[in-house]
Amino acid sequence: MIKSWFLPFEKISSKHSALISSIWIVLLISFWFIATSGEKKLFPPPDLAWQGFKDLYSEGLVTHIISSLWLCLQATTISIIFSLGFAYLSPIPIFKPVVAMLSRMRYLPLTGITFYLAMVVSDARSMQIWVLVIFMSLYFITSLLSIIKNIPQEELDHARSLQCSRWEVLWEVVIKGRLDYVIEVLRQNLAITWMMLVTVESILVAAGGLGVLIKNSDKFMNHGRIVALQIVILFVGLGIDIFLNFLRKTLFRYSKI
Amino acid sequence: MSYYESDASILAVENLSVQYDGKKIIQNINFEERDVIRSGRIQGQTIAFVGRSGRGKSTLFRSLAGLERPTSGRILISDIKKQSGTEHPPFKEVEEGDVGFVNQNYMLFRHKTIYQAMEFAMRKIDKPSAEKQTIITTHLKDWGLEDVKNQYPNELSGGQRQRTAILEQVLSSTNYIILDEPFSGLDVGNIQNVKSAFKLINRTHELNTIIFCTHDIELAVSMADSIYVIGYPTMENGRLETIGTLIRKYDLKSKGLAWRDDYSSEHHDLVEKIKVDILNS
Repeated sequence: MIKSWFLPFEKISSKHSALISSIWIVLLISFWFIATSGEKKLFPPPDLAWQGFKDLYSEGLVTHIISSLWLCLQATTISIIFSLGFAYLSPIPIFKPVVAMLSRMRYLPLTGITFYLAMVVSDARSMQIWVLVIFMSLYFITSLLSIIKNIPQEELDHARSLQCSRWEVLWEVVIKGRLDYVIEVLRQNLAITWMMLVTVESILVAAGGLGVLIKNSDKFMNHGRIVALQIVILFVGLGIDIFLNFLRKTLFRYSKI
Repeated sequence: MSYYESDASILAVENLSVQYDGKKIIQNINFEERDVIRSGRIQGQTIAFVGRSGRGKSTLFRSLAGLERPTSGRILISDIKKQSGTEHPPFKEVEEGDVGFVNQNYMLFRHKTIYQAMEFAMRKIDKPSAEKQTIITTHLKDWGLEDVKNQYPNELSGGQRQRTAILEQVLSSTNYIILDEPFSGLDVGNIQNVKSAFKLINRTHELNTIIFCTHDIELAVSMADSIYVIGYPTMENGRLETIGTLIRKYDLKSKGLAWRDDYSSEHHDLVEKIKVDILNS
């Protein structure tokens, strides 16, 4: 039985998969305990991280998480609307180069953009949102373009053969037919959004958020708090991921991505 | 031999050529099909195309369906919308959407249930909603899809997908349906399903015309009333050209081989003849 765990491409039952995952988690936690039990510590021990977590909680961790989630929600909503608009224009030849160029802009450095944004946007909260919107949009557009590009010609032909005009093909096959993929794009790009969120939050310390907490902890070399925050950020991110996956499966029964 | 008459022309292809990026795929395609009349029954047409891979069958089919613009030549079909009384409808050049097209993967809208797909297929038909619903329900029953009408394509079996894809085109009111390799990868049961669907379509309207291609010559001979071999013609130096065209036509009606339930030795001989044509082109 255990032999099959080491056989490439071997299919195992979900029970065994769960067992393997549990073993890895136990190993990881054990390693954390053992590796940080000596005198010389390269990594904060679990008790320090736990203390850091308790301190953070008493200092309003939940409020900071809500602040980060709210910022994330605002930026994501705006950027997904922008990105969808541009991506849906991409099958139209006149707009194709513009959308392709926007996708390439993801290589632009963040620093330059914040400088120009600072001249246009007056308050720091809007600045946070728009920096996120710009960068998220570029990644969203890239992913959405790839989805549209991968629609098989046969699918477009099927709609055309049912007397769909070209605009109906766009509506039925690209827009309606790929709505579930939009949630998948959100999920896939969530990691980078979450990473940027922490950086962007340092623009406005007063607004709080997980980014501010991690920056402060870093400033005072409070490693226990840093690890605790990293874990919190990881779990909040995973929570959003699970929620989006659930949303996709619930809203779109046909979705098997 | 079944008695029949050939009436007005229902499909005419004149000097059709298609090229992509300067490379000609098919050229000089010319053929005409006429409405077949059999007394006492509705008889549509079934036309098969056979030939080796890469000879331009799919390109020809996409052109016939109006999905590919010909480089030269034209494709004419009956314009049912302009039919007056019992007169035969006038010709029109084929346009996108005039001809139903079912590809070998039996593509469907992934976000529509079978019932929604049928409603969508009928959206341009000028009939009251209640009547459309009755038509859909009757067809779903006839085609054995009633129990799965609220399911999405990814919840269907292969056979159900095939029937849905064909029925969608039937309900879309086009009299012409093109099927690109509809038997490819199907098991015996599903082949039977598609054959039954063909018969059902043929018996529904006099002008219904099924055009399909297949690599299964026996199947083509047992089902079609006309068979065209598409391939590369032989040049004067004995070599094959590299642009597809029609090599030969077999009229199974005149040979008394069409619409028969049995598979005779004559059918078998014809299969052998067609195989030789294919191998030489």
